Amino acid sequence: MAERLKAAVIGAGVNGLVAAAALARGGCEVTVIERGAAPGGMMALGLFARGPHPAALEALGLKPGALGPAIPTVALCPSGRHVLVEGAEARFADGSAHPGAERWRVLSRRLDRFAAALAPLLTGAPPPMRLRAEGLPGLLRFALRLRLLGARDMRELLRIGLSNAADLAADALPEGPLAGLLAFDSVLGSRAGPMAPGTVVPLLLRRAPLRRMEGLAARLAAASEGKGARLRLGAGAARILFEDDRAHGVLLDDGERVEADLVLSSLGAAQTLALAGPALFDIEAQRRIGAIRAQGAAARVDLDFAAPPRLPGLDPAHHGARLVLAPSVQAVEPAYDPVKYGRLPALPVMEGRIDGARLSLTVQCVPHDAPRDRIVAATLAALETVAPGLGGEVRHAGALSPADIEAMTGAPGGHWHHGEIALDQFLTLRPANGMARHAMGPPGLFLCGAGAHPGGDVTGLPGLNGARAALEAMR
Amino acid sequence: MSQARSYDAIIAGGGHNGLTAGAYLARAGLSVLVVERSDIVGGAAVSRELEPGWTYSNCSYVCSLLRPEVARDLDLARHGLQVIPYTGGASFTKGGEYFAYHHDQRALEREIARLSPRDVEGYERFARAVTRQCRFVRPLLLRSAPDPASFHPRDLGELLFLLRRLHDLGEREMGEAVRFWTASVGDFLDGFIEHPLIKAHLAGSGIIGTGLGVYSPGTAYVLLHHYMGDLDGAIGAWGFARGGMGAVSAALAGALRAAGGEIRVNAEVERILVKDGAAAGVVLKGGEEIRAPLVASNMDAKRTFLGCVEPGALPDDFLDAVRRFRIRGSSAKLNIALDGPPVFPAVKGEAPFLSGDLHASESLLELEAAYDDWKEGRFSAAPYFDMLIPSRIDPTMAPPGAHMASIFVQYAPYDLARDGVRDPAHWDEAAREGLKAAVLDKIEAVSPGFRGLIRHSELRAPVDIEREVGLSEGNIFQGELTFDQLLFNRPVPGWARHRSPLPGLWLVGSSAHPGGGVMAAAGANAAREILRDMKRGGRDEAAFRAA
Repeated sequence: MAERLKAAVIGAGVNGLVAAAALARGGCEVTVIERGAAPGGMMALGLFARGPHPAALEALGLKPGALGPAIPTVALCPSGRHVLVEGAEARFADGSAHPGAERWRVLSRRLDRFAAALAPLLTGAPPPMRLRAEGLPGLLRFALRLRLLGARDMRELLRIGLSNAADLAADALPEGPLAGLLAFDSVLGSRAGPMAPGTVVPLLLRRAPLRRMEGLAARLAAASEGKGARLRLGAGAARILFEDDRAHGVLLDDGERVEADLVLSSLGAAQTLALAGPALFDIEAQRRIGAIRAQGAAARVDLDFAAPPRLPGLDPAHHGARLVLAPSVQAVEPAYDPVKYGRLPALPVMEGRIDGARLSLTVQCVPHDAPRDRIVAATLAALETVAPGLGGEVRHAGALSPADIEAMTGAPGGHWHHGEIALDQFLTLRPANGMARHAMGPPGLFLCGAGAHPGGDVTGLPGLNGARAALEAMR
Repeated sequence: MSQARSYDAIIAGGGHNGLTAGAYLARAGLSVLVVERSDIVGGAAVSRELEPGWTYSNCSYVCSLLRPEVARDLDLARHGLQVIPYTGGASFTKGGEYFAYHHDQRALEREIARLSPRDVEGYERFARAVTRQCRFVRPLLLRSAPDPASFHPRDLGELLFLLRRLHDLGEREMGEAVRFWTASVGDFLDGFIEHPLIKAHLAGSGIIGTGLGVYSPGTAYVLLHHYMGDLDGAIGAWGFARGGMGAVSAALAGALRAAGGEIRVNAEVERILVKDGAAAGVVLKGGEEIRAPLVASNMDAKRTFLGCVEPGALPDDFLDAVRRFRIRGSSAKLNIALDGPPVFPAVKGEAPFLSGDLHASESLLELEAAYDDWKEGRFSAAPYFDMLIPSRIDPTMAPPGAHMASIFVQYAPYDLARDGVRDPAHWDEAAREGLKAAVLDKIEAVSPGFRGLIRHSELRAPVDIEREVGLSEGNIFQGELTFDQLLFNRPVPGWARHRSPLPGLWLVGSSAHPGGGVMAAAGANAAREILRDMKRGGRDEAAFRAA
């Protein structure tokens, strides 16, 4: 038998760790190169995760049950009548029945069915642009699942899949916190409002149960190491090395060379291109990579209080839940307008949770380089609509703008998903036309980050798909 | 009362698509009656003399998208249609700069180089990309959209045709095609061109008539809807119908009459007659009944199915789907009789591009901000406008020395917001004057003295267009051209073939595939479907296939 293949994975975020585990399982000797002192990447800044996807967990040798319990969402309302949402069930936080509960249930089940039909497109290579043997099974599975939905549901999926979340909410739900939650989830981490066509797709990608992010990074890292991956922390990649135009390894910041037959990058396509150098890419490829839309609009804010903060109408028992402040579609859409012109909205929308005396938030609609104090001020202004006087009780406030997040994690533009999840950057067009099958161009170099197919959030699927593509190419 | 008259087919609404469908049906030997509630046919393609001596194309205003196949089939030239091409356009800035668009390639290159030498190559790539997409989409316009959920051989055949055409593009171009269909015009242009004024000039056609902004996904495709025009085979060429847009309708009406069809004006359809679960004719306002086993509605989907069919005749889930069909008013029209030629000091002397489309939007973000106003229920504080002065090259439009300006305005909401309440009734005199002032301020900034030339003007807010033409919300495309409402989804998934669940009731207007613009494609496609259904379409079918 030949010598074991060597693989280098750049970045120890969720996708790098999953890719490493999958490569190790495929027989490679894997080194994960991480600039930070600890694995996790963007996971360190996130509050909640809807993953990793079961297929990615399997690669890591983990069971979905190992991730801890699913948590509910509380959709906050300025009236104090907050809505508690657990999957397809919705009721007022005080336990009374919500008039939109039945419609929420019907919509949730419908979206679940559609998401299941879409699944074969996500866990494998995206549909090919040319009929080729390797892309066919996934495509046929998808076509079959689409047909099995029945003519009515199939037509509905083909319509709303191209539609926008605001229209979907208007057709299916009463305006208010439930509709606001739907709109919020459709643009979470993105730089678009729910009226933008294509915003139903992210909703279909976000059907898995929600869990707290804590400890996830360490667990995934341990699992990846358990599969045989070696983590090399504290040194970033300085350059991707090539020999005879083939990826040959990675040169680290500290001068060490990691030799490898396969190099997988969980960075963005543009960052990877910069590490590899432009010489190996044609002008069209460079242009397409340059045109990827990846400007983050989500900030992290932490507010510390003397005691656990009280939100009127919110039972402390729900402090561990995901709190979403997006009281209506009408509140979410205009919040995104000022960002286009580099301004902060008066009332941004956000999600967060209370841990003891700390309220941690992911605040949406924040311009890339917004000043931290302005981010905190806008956040407090929005929070005051549900908890008047809350701002006065803040002892200490910290914020990270998308620019800060970019500097800390290397995520392109500080974008949650390394690139907008939009129909023109999805499936065969993610990260860019001609690169969706994870091969970036030069042999031996692959993408395995959130910027690659099928995209962001904590799914691990880009990592899994990237590793599979790399292993296949070596066969 | 005498026995109601009867026909083979009644066309409810004499817009350009209704006339087209009627002409094809009459040519196939059916007895056809077109009923139109206005005093002239044409719907939104009309010429009116609102000030003695001046002809207003007071709704649609340029001619280019009209399918050449239809013009040939119906011999519209013989029926008096003459299209005068114009060869350019321009965008002006407040600072006295301008970008002139020329159809002549060399002239355009020189002009781009004058503003931004780096964009010459980018524009060339842009033009190539758009032309390729035009070539891909155009043959689809005169075909019916396949229903992907159907196993019917025709649907499978059309689906296969679509997939084969996509496949024939090749791997790389297929990806580019999908991207083009799903991208925003702003992002698309950002990939080619740097200069803000050039981008703003090119982006305008991506938002005309739609409730979307330049950075809304799907607008790159709308751009195509305006680039698809061809005059004498030149892709992207535009022109004026001599005598105004009414000339298009008059030629179509001529073709209809020549084939034996009849037209009745001042005849408004109040209700579609239903007998034994099928359409049986129409009831006009005033109570007159006209019988026909086939009713083809040129009204939009909402007006037809929600407004003119008695409750219970159509299934509830179909009606729900029609209610979900988005028809949003987003445009207004300002028509002005001018006592003299407007002057643009940025341009020295006379220039041929002044006969084309003129604008004063300077950047994509300015256009996006105009959209934000609309979303909030306000008309744009700095609206995008598309101004044409057809009298520069068509002397029939105004008295000698005088001019006619046709100004299309984006965005104006249908239900204007006031104190947080949105209501079309808010379009009172003050609101109209406000919008007019916003437009004229922008024009005055680039053409000082323009206000002083105004002899008569007419502002048509979305609510006026709805009232006068009958288009729901005043939407010029009879339904948003977003990708969830195109092809097999237009107007309702599963009913993209002009049919409806009520046998004998058909949709021939631009609520149906392939959508709006004075294309006559929806009407021609509907006639083909109807004739196929009646199994008498051999001749016309052949004509279509040949085209």
